[in-house]
Amino acid sequence: MPKGGALAAADIVRAAAMVAAVAALPLVIPVNIATEVLIYGIFAMATNLLVGTAGLYSFGQAAFFGAGGYVAGYFLAQGFVSLPLALLLAGAGGGVLAALIGALSIRRTGIYFMMLTFAFNQLVFYVIYSWQSVTGGEDGLAGIRRGTIELPFLGTLKFDDNRAFYALAAVLFLVSMAILIRMTRSPFGLVLDAARQNARRTTSLGYSVHALQLAAFVIAGVISGIAGALFGMLYRIMPIDAVHWTGSAYVVFMVLIGGQRSMLGPVLGAAIFIWLQGLFSLVWTRWPLLLGLFVIVVMIYLPGGLLDLFARVSAWRSRLREQRR
Amino acid sequence: MLWLISAQLVNGIAIGMIYALMAFGLSIIKGLLNIPNFAHGALYALGAYLCYSAVSAGLPFPAGLFVAFAGAALAGLVLDRLVVRFVRAGGYLPQLITLFGAALVIEQLLLIGWGTIGLSYSPPELLRGSIDLGFTLVPRYIAFASLCSALVISGVWLLIERTRFGAWVRAGIERPEMTQSLGINVDLLLIAGMMLGAGLAGLAGGLALPLMGATSTMGGDMMAIAFVVLVIGGLGSLYGAIAAGLMVGVVQSLMTVAAPAASTAIIYLVMIVILLVRPQGLFGER
Repeated sequence: MPKGGALAAADIVRAAAMVAAVAALPLVIPVNIATEVLIYGIFAMATNLLVGTAGLYSFGQAAFFGAGGYVAGYFLAQGFVSLPLALLLAGAGGGVLAALIGALSIRRTGIYFMMLTFAFNQLVFYVIYSWQSVTGGEDGLAGIRRGTIELPFLGTLKFDDNRAFYALAAVLFLVSMAILIRMTRSPFGLVLDAARQNARRTTSLGYSVHALQLAAFVIAGVISGIAGALFGMLYRIMPIDAVHWTGSAYVVFMVLIGGQRSMLGPVLGAAIFIWLQGLFSLVWTRWPLLLGLFVIVVMIYLPGGLLDLFARVSAWRSRLREQRR
Repeated sequence: MLWLISAQLVNGIAIGMIYALMAFGLSIIKGLLNIPNFAHGALYALGAYLCYSAVSAGLPFPAGLFVAFAGAALAGLVLDRLVVRFVRAGGYLPQLITLFGAALVIEQLLLIGWGTIGLSYSPPELLRGSIDLGFTLVPRYIAFASLCSALVISGVWLLIERTRFGAWVRAGIERPEMTQSLGINVDLLLIAGMMLGAGLAGLAGGLALPLMGATSTMGGDMMAIAFVVLVIGGLGSLYGAIAAGLMVGVVQSLMTVAAPAASTAIIYLVMIVILLVRPQGLFGER
């Protein structure tokens, strides 16, 4: 918990470093890949609120990502252009769906919760798959246009340029990150954390654990929905694959390879995942095999994620330094 | 109309028995190792491909089914020894993500080994045609597949309920530490459970081959349904999966008469309704 001047200063330094990193990213990798990294970064951070902070092992997050993408995509494909309204609808779509699914599954714990969210994910998938007249079914929802923002003095902001769209994603990414970090440090986040460690004891302290967990589930749904809307706009199509349960597995994997103990972990995980996916698919058409092997190796040797690796390396270096003295 | 409905009913029973085999295997692995086996679908696909290769090499179809069972069981053994063993300490989230990674690897290996084109196989001469029951025709293969699944499930039931090995397995599910301290090698038991569960998935794949062919992606959807079956049956119950599997198969097949497009979505709705009424599943205990 940051308290007092020194720690707040450290936070400012970290925030500045994050902004600089986001600004530099499109200089290092192709701009659309950078946008994808940020979009999946948002999605992974939202998932980490559940997996890392609250200990709710949801395996159905792709349903909310997809719901947001399809709602905003349908709105924009119908000829509407208001980007704020599209994002609002996407957030509402993801949030309402999360409230429904969460209300039915939040009381189940452990594996049961995981399997329920997984099954709901498949239900959403099949509804979208069969509702061809609206969603495009197997072909995905095509013809999504990037909306515009009307500002009082600056005029109309357009995002057809990929760099402009990256800027939009960057702003939403940084805002989501700030909100989520603030949230995990708030009393709300601390109670979620306590309930992850011992739900029964937290309940007996007087906290309504299920209501707070449901709130976290809905918040994650809203943010995932917004990430989905950005994804639909990025490639101007919402593919049906984005709603499939494998998407839920991938985002949990991003959280695990990065590390669950901070919001930086999932972002790192998303970046590495997107990068590796691109790299492997260039090398070999059977690239999911390499991805699968990578998953296995990371889970065996780095169960705490990459942040754990950094911690280990720095501990090892400081030990080395002490030995030298 | 009645003709169509009874034909779909028969079809649903056959599909339901395959679901039951899948979910039963999942249930055994879930009971013993306490993980949802995310590689179950890939093992199912492996079974279908192995069965195809065995019958293509001239073996009779039942031998092909055995190859599917044994091959998948062996894959389960390899999976457990090379992969799952090392992540067992880390809670079940790393375990199931690891199994998910393993499923990706197996599916891609199937594509490398057998090519990207889906395979199809028609049942042997003896099992073609159908049996006339008066009110409906039952395709011989469907009768065979249902009978075969029923026999295997009964066999495994006898193994678990009536043998010493089965008593160990049940003890291992109920109280692993106590079982260990009685001098029973729980580690070996876990391996046996993984192999048995994986083998059942492979056998289900072999049985499904003449009905649905073999494609590398056949496992994902089947596994999702098997999870639903498991949840409907109740996670704590080893045999709930069997009844729930039959039920899901029949509901799904009957729905193809009423609303074909919604036939898969409906089973998820059934699951939600059942969970609202009985949160622990049909046969689960609280």
